Amino acid sequence: MSGEPVAVTGLGAVSGFGWGVEELWRGVLSGASAIRDFHRFDHTGYRTHVASEVPDGPALDPEAGGPRLTLADRFALVAAAEALAGARLPERLEGAAAGLFFGSSTGGMFESEQFFAQLVGRPRRAPIGLLSAQQPCGPGDAVARAHGVTGPVETIASACASATLALGAALDALRSGEIELALAGGSDSLCRLTFGGFNALRAVDERPCRPFRRERAGMSIGEGAAVLVLESRARAERRGAPVLAWLAGVGASCDAHHMTSPDPQGEGISRAVAAALADAGLAPAAIDFVNLHGTGTPANDSAEARMLARIFGARAPALPATSTKGCVGHFLGAAGAVEALVTVLCLEHGLVHPTPGEGTLDPGLGVDLVVGAPRALPAARRALSTNLAFGGANAACVLLHPEAA
Amino acid sequence: MSPELLVPRLKQLLVSSLHLEGLAPESIADDEPLFSSRLGLDSVDALELVVALEREFGVSVPSEEIGGETFSSVRALADWLAPRLAAASGGAGR
Amino acid sequence: MTRAVVATGLGAVGPWGVGVEALAGCLAQGATRPVVVDRSAGYHAPGGARTALTASGLDLSALVPPASARRMSPPARFAVAALRLALADAGLANADHERTGIVVGTAFGPAFVTEQLLIQLLRQGPEAASPAAFTESVASASAAQMAMAVGARGPNLAITQRETSDLAALAEGARLVATGAAERVLVAAVDEMIPLLHAVLDRFRALARPGADGAEVARPFDRRRDGFLAAEGAAVVVLEAEPDALGRGARPLARLAGVVRGFDASAPAWDWGTGSGPLAATLARGLRRAGVAPGSIDLVVSGASGARRGDRLEAGVLTTLFGQRLPAVVAPKGTVGEPGGAHLAAALLAASGRAIGPTRGFEEPDPELGLRPSVAEKLPAPRRTLVSALASGGAATWVVLDAPEPSPARAV
Repeated sequence: MSGEPVAVTGLGAVSGFGWGVEELWRGVLSGASAIRDFHRFDHTGYRTHVASEVPDGPALDPEAGGPRLTLADRFALVAAAEALAGARLPERLEGAAAGLFFGSSTGGMFESEQFFAQLVGRPRRAPIGLLSAQQPCGPGDAVARAHGVTGPVETIASACASATLALGAALDALRSGEIELALAGGSDSLCRLTFGGFNALRAVDERPCRPFRRERAGMSIGEGAAVLVLESRARAERRGAPVLAWLAGVGASCDAHHMTSPDPQGEGISRAVAAALADAGLAPAAIDFVNLHGTGTPANDSAEARMLARIFGARAPALPATSTKGCVGHFLGAAGAVEALVTVLCLEHGLVHPTPGEGTLDPGLGVDLVVGAPRALPAARRALSTNLAFGGANAACVLLHPEAA
Repeated sequence: MSPELLVPRLKQLLVSSLHLEGLAPESIADDEPLFSSRLGLDSVDALELVVALEREFGVSVPSEEIGGETFSSVRALADWLAPRLAAASGGAGR
Repeated sequence: MTRAVVATGLGAVGPWGVGVEALAGCLAQGATRPVVVDRSAGYHAPGGARTALTASGLDLSALVPPASARRMSPPARFAVAALRLALADAGLANADHERTGIVVGTAFGPAFVTEQLLIQLLRQGPEAASPAAFTESVASASAAQMAMAVGARGPNLAITQRETSDLAALAEGARLVATGAAERVLVAAVDEMIPLLHAVLDRFRALARPGADGAEVARPFDRRRDGFLAAEGAAVVVLEAEPDALGRGARPLARLAGVVRGFDASAPAWDWGTGSGPLAATLARGLRRAGVAPGSIDLVVSGASGARRGDRLEAGVLTTLFGQRLPAVVAPKGTVGEPGGAHLAAALLAASGRAIGPTRGFEEPDPELGLRPSVAEKLPAPRRTLVSALASGGAATWVVLDAPEPSPARAV
């Protein structure tokens, strides 16, 4: 049941390491974490005081792009512009058969909270403008508007699996011929709702998150955006586009088990991985490394370790793995996008970035986590990236080196 | 407050905070396992109950206690809570 | 690999009651009961819309047992109830759902629990925040509850795309069936209408305002239209591969003959744009790709809701596409409002040959639009139906539904 791969021809990112792909790549290779004290809102009284916050930049100037843009819109717009420029595409896409598929968990919730804080205080005075792009589709719509997309525009809001599911929707739209070019990605900003929600679930680590460590105690929230330009092979070849990687397959599944806890046996995410591999027409043995969801919660990391054992068998303990969340925190609805993007960079450079985090590797998990320094894998050709969400939604994608398709 | 007096209040709190509609508080046995199949409670309920306990009694429940012996039954919860309430009221003048 | 996709079951709950027959009755008779929205929280500006079509009084306990509904938000209850009805309608009440996917479309997500959580966090502080409310506040919570209710272990996703969320979900559901990623997909369109949301929509002047007689009337395509009727509820459609459905002896409601999606970049973030020409071109191209000649369409179930700019855009797209050969256009949102899934359910009913009543609220043509919707009580059963939904913010989805073969209508 496999289908054609599609070309990844452009990348754009905004993260705790800064405004751009170069800043992100340097950051993840450094072995340092962008998870630290943050200033977006007052976090007195919360269980943790660290997050990965996007540093100030010109795009946060209220006048830049119009005062009604939310933080998540601004992250998305900067990442999309970078991705299009890198793909050597024009800023306006009216002439292309283009679509947009985004993931977002909360869209403009940060701005909605300001509205709401004023509303509960002095109801009739709250400025409605704060709500103009409140919903998860805000950032995706803003990007589609800015670049004149004329085809399908869709935001998937499936919590932490959103952006990987968006990659899957984009992949199928390209394969079917509905479009030839897609902007696929996601954007989310820090907000009290998410921060407070995970705080209430006691799922946050006081320290920067420690994926796959014995001491792991929860996740760290991050913010930012990542956008990948995807093109059909025919279009990419026709225009001589730079092919950075291939998106070869996406798979999804649901645990149908519990609202917050993954199936402890890792069975649900295993089915998503198996579906992604089948979609890519690959056997598990073809995979050279894995970018895991790796939130740093005890349950997630152990479910993923079980998945590795189920899918990769005896090879699992020697399969290089990393978690980008240790570097930039959890991007929530955009997590799958930034992790796919980083996976593309790892393939391109033949380097798997280390996963920051204090403590020692949990020997019970049997995961070959890259720590300390980047690991050189110059022959790596095929990689897997996984995401697990609230409500048991799982998604995985397979990416290939430019020479592997 | 003694554990005996806390037990009925805790049962009431359990039913109201977890929306156990149709369940009579007194039908919960003192030592009935809370996270059993009959009540159908899970880890999110445990956390929800913690928020209710903190609001109702002004105590702080450390994460280590949640899901452990302390939350195994209404009785265990009352035994854990009673001395902490006594300590809190004793120190109220500070 | 792509497979032909058919709809084999439909379930709905909403202000009109429980079940598709209740919806059909409401569409035929226009009997809706607007409820005065509680303004005690002080969210509303003075004046403005007062009512909404709400479903809060429905007894769903037979479909969603209280023990399982304990932690569900209102939209999740609507969705699970509609899911049970849809599976029964499809003859799949006891089916195995190992490879069943779920796609939810929701314009606003679980608004009530989100409001509760924000009040807790902003007024009372982080320790007062309810963990259960947080888990139910995510837009995909309904999708998760549906999956847990029936053990649906295939792909599971939620789409938020304003007024086109329902058709966008149908489109993605069809994709998952067509590619074989799922054996069948349960597509839900679900939303709830709470005072906060009602107040916000009204402040944006999106809702129909009281007329001289005090009634708030949505007037799709009417010269005097001034907004839509706020509604809530859920509809669930069962999608299957045609050979699977026929193989098990199911009687399809409709066959999906095409899906077209587009975007109007002229739209501001919270309103409709003016790009009817480019949208019509996208629609024409998409129909051509699907092998659907506009002339073969004999009914349009329009997403026109009474919105000032939205209906103008819709009329522009339809008149550009069809020119002088415009088929009958019915806009059920004039009766049932939005969101809440009724548009999607009405479209399926119409495509399967059921009457969905006239375009209520329409009386005076708008000379600017060049389009008069149908006000006929009953139209001939269509062979091919175009369903439209244009969203504020720019997104658009159209779905083409063919009448089931060979007989045009199922026995009631």
